[in-house]
Amino acid sequence: MIIISPYSKALKNGKTNAKNYPYWKELIELIKEPIVQIGIEGEEQLVPDFRKNLSLKELESLVNECRTWISCDSFFQHFAWDKKKYGIVLWSVSDPLIFGHPENINLLKDRNNLVENQFLWWEDTEHDANKFFNPSLVLECLNANFP
Amino acid sequence: MDKVLCSVATRGRYQTTLPLTLNAIINQTKKVDKLVIFDDNDEPQDMRNELVYSYFFQMLTIKGIAWEWVYAGKQGQHYIHQMANGMGFDWVWRVDDDAIPEPNVLQTLFNYTHKNVGAIGGAILTPPFPVNSNNEKPTGKIELINREPNIQWSFIEKVKEVEHLHCSFLYRAGVHDYHLGLSRVAHREETLFTYGLFKKGYKILVVPNANTWHFKNPNGGIRSESNEILYGQDETVFNNLVNYSDKTIVILTGGMGDHIVFTHVLPDIKNAEIFTCYPDIVQGKSIAEAHLLFGSIDPWNVYIKMHQWKWKGSLEDAYRKMYL
Repeated sequence: MIIISPYSKALKNGKTNAKNYPYWKELIELIKEPIVQIGIEGEEQLVPDFRKNLSLKELESLVNECRTWISCDSFFQHFAWDKKKYGIVLWSVSDPLIFGHPENINLLKDRNNLVENQFLWWEDTEHDANKFFNPSLVLECLNANFP
Repeated sequence: MDKVLCSVATRGRYQTTLPLTLNAIINQTKKVDKLVIFDDNDEPQDMRNELVYSYFFQMLTIKGIAWEWVYAGKQGQHYIHQMANGMGFDWVWRVDDDAIPEPNVLQTLFNYTHKNVGAIGGAILTPPFPVNSNNEKPTGKIELINREPNIQWSFIEKVKEVEHLHCSFLYRAGVHDYHLGLSRVAHREETLFTYGLFKKGYKILVVPNANTWHFKNPNGGIRSESNEILYGQDETVFNNLVNYSDKTIVILTGGMGDHIVFTHVLPDIKNAEIFTCYPDIVQGKSIAEAHLLFGSIDPWNVYIKMHQWKWKGSLEDAYRKMYL
């Protein structure tokens, strides 16, 4: 089983968070094993098994069960890393050298896509699908690193 | 040779004591490497066209002293001093805009800039000032700050280690931050700053033969706020920070992920007193309590710090830099 954590924190201005991976549906179609989506109420459901608002204990138990996970740059990548269960983080505009962990597989398409000031709110950063890895490359990476 | 920046924060004193202060700085026996005047006036003026100032600027240039006139952000002088603190000099000599140092002051203070020294101050004299009797010698200890006159308010007879300084002094730059949680009046800002250096293990000295005359002026001044509430708030923040000075105050304002990263730093922090947004991840007191105790909690915002540091390292290392 693979966990996916598709969404970063919702922005106050209602815009799409620039850290949210845009190709989840395509990627999910490529993955041939059970997927559990985690998140919170109000987020779009992408797979049949969507577990919302889990407590930290429930989340830990789920992480222990999973083979690995795929996440955008959000709370979950830190949580799973802390539990020593490593996975794939899909980056775009935030810097994995600052906010990531080297034990994870950090997929950043191009460092030129990083926003200059990494420490402001994300409200002013436009979402750009071109700044993310395409799903087939993510799958390749999944198979290569977590066979 | 270590480089010295002289910083002067000014407000409302263009035509009174500021020219005297600048004249005294220009005529020091030891030249400063740069003079920066932080103009915090509500209606700042271009002083280059003022006769006396235009001569000052020419004198500085002739003497080879770099200078800059900076229009400050009206957030209080602690913000100004923090700017000066981060300008890349080894030492900063801060001089109030109503303080008139005698010509030898900087050289005398500079003579004590040994490697374990954090700040050096001389006498700050406002006539008529008391002459301390032998029985009433101030200690300069923070615990007695409300019970004894400041040791700098009278002539200083011999070098003495103290715990805090006031008004004008020379300090080691870039090793300790001003507390930006104080209000705009910045009451006790220099006391907190020098006490912070002391708590970091640096010696704080008062030294003889470095006399600055303090022309206390009821008009103008960088603290020319009359809001007693703000003074009261700052006094509360000051007392709380001193009361917590044996602890490492940790205030976690970030998201859940930031808290998780912080848990990897926590075991290395000595005597941490924690205020937290997510007590299920990092146990501690509430953020609301931190606000009540310390005023603005921006000084503990790791994102603001990383922005200031132009940080390129990991979040975990940023926490380490902040708290270890």
